[in-house]
Amino acid sequence: MSESETHLFRHEYGRLVAILSRQVGVQHIGRIEDAVQSALMKAVQDWGRNGQPEQPAAWLYRVAHNELIGEMRKSRRQAQLLEQFATDLAPNVQDELHQVLPGEMRDDLLRMLFVACDEVLPAESQLVFALKTLCGFNVPEIAQRLFMSEAAVYKRLARARDKLKAQPVRIDQLDAEHCRPRLANVLKTIYVLFTEGHLSSHADAAIRCELCDEAIRLATVLVEHPVGQVSECFALLALMHLHRARLSARLDGGGGLLLLEDQDRSRWNQKQIGLGLSYLSQSAQGDQFTRYHAEAAIAAEHCMAPSFDQTRWHKIVEYYDLLEHAAPSPIHALNRAVAVAEWQGPQAALAALEAFPTPQWLLDSYLWSAVMADLHRRAGHSKSAKRFHQQALKMAPTDAIRALLQQRLKTALRSTRQDST
Amino acid sequence: MSNKTYLCIQRSQRQASGESKCEPPSPAQMEQMYARFNAWQEKFKHNIVDMGGKLGPGAVVTGDGTTMDGPFAESKEVVGGFMIVSAENLEAALQVARESPGVAMPGCSVEVREISTP
Repeated sequence: MSESETHLFRHEYGRLVAILSRQVGVQHIGRIEDAVQSALMKAVQDWGRNGQPEQPAAWLYRVAHNELIGEMRKSRRQAQLLEQFATDLAPNVQDELHQVLPGEMRDDLLRMLFVACDEVLPAESQLVFALKTLCGFNVPEIAQRLFMSEAAVYKRLARARDKLKAQPVRIDQLDAEHCRPRLANVLKTIYVLFTEGHLSSHADAAIRCELCDEAIRLATVLVEHPVGQVSECFALLALMHLHRARLSARLDGGGGLLLLEDQDRSRWNQKQIGLGLSYLSQSAQGDQFTRYHAEAAIAAEHCMAPSFDQTRWHKIVEYYDLLEHAAPSPIHALNRAVAVAEWQGPQAALAALEAFPTPQWLLDSYLWSAVMADLHRRAGHSKSAKRFHQQALKMAPTDAIRALLQQRLKTALRSTRQDST
Repeated sequence: MSNKTYLCIQRSQRQASGESKCEPPSPAQMEQMYARFNAWQEKFKHNIVDMGGKLGPGAVVTGDGTTMDGPFAESKEVVGGFMIVSAENLEAALQVARESPGVAMPGCSVEVREISTP
């Protein structure tokens, strides 16, 4: 089965929710989702028996649309609204069917993306709402992917729906002008979605790849539209492709994480790296330099380096400086120190970190302790190294990360022993 | 080739009201259901004579001339669907039913009976 066939149901779910939301208003999101759910269920039963129709998207649209109109008709409270829409909708079914053909619906999906990133929705609800309505994940699937309890997912979805009910957006009125102020939020949601897949320690590789691919899919739809054809969108897309190209090589046979140093570079997807680089050059227009540009540039350096040792670490340090400038965060200083260690040695890295005022939350994180343990070990400070290592193990948020740290310790001790012999 | 014909009757447990509060299948799960169904149908395409269908509500006529509504609300199981299968023997027909996605649902069963025509 091809990629698009595998995800036909999930992707059609997002598109149908988007179209119907435009038609009857996003305040009816609950009922819309029920209608789409039921149309997909009917498809499972009907297509299995009678074969898949030639235009599955059109078939699904017709069934979901009828279901929704039927449900709205049943509800007396909606009678007035229906009158208003029934005249709009009924004679137009044929027209709408044309819109359902592939390619035509992308605008609807995009509009829904901007609805999901409305600032009236609480920030933590935006991502959950996007996963539900645009990517077609259900509550247990979202909970699993974001490491949240199902109750927390329900709560966030309910908050999003309440807000949309109270402050309904007319989706068809969301034109480029209304979209532009929300663009930063849209990019952030896509970025968070990607990061969840890329950096999480989830054992199931398939789940991780799926989140990354969904983020790339949404960004690809975005840059096809004039609103999204700005340099930071291209930079984000470049960054995601360049990371995704290396994702399968980041995992060992048992689903554990592999360090960059230990990755088999021949397993990196060269075609996708090429795609990432071409988006990166597209992102170089204009005078905007965002965090996505800096992160894409760093990812590109890694992708183009023939080996770990031949990586241009000084360029990476330079991009971390630019990243710190575009989006200041103590985390960047920590990452920069790792690159400095490769470029100028562990002493230089430790000196750079000492000069930097580290906030308490970072001092308390396993990342800080893990990096410090590594730098001290390489600098020959075995006592400090041991102390930081113990601390990192204690702070590790999940067993998978703890396992990675323990593995790292074993490898480090082995290489230290080899160094000294 | 003297294949026999079998009637397969699908039954499911009647859901007590309020029990159906479980999460509906997600689009991804429905994708899997569809794929499983297609694979099963392809595998047994020479056996499945008639995919049959779902059985809706009906009525029962008894010998004394009375008519009763059916399926009976008090019975715990509901006959939900049927299909007709052609197979060499009962074991082969059972295999078709055993592998059908419908039987994998919790509380579901498929009864297989030979149809013998004199």
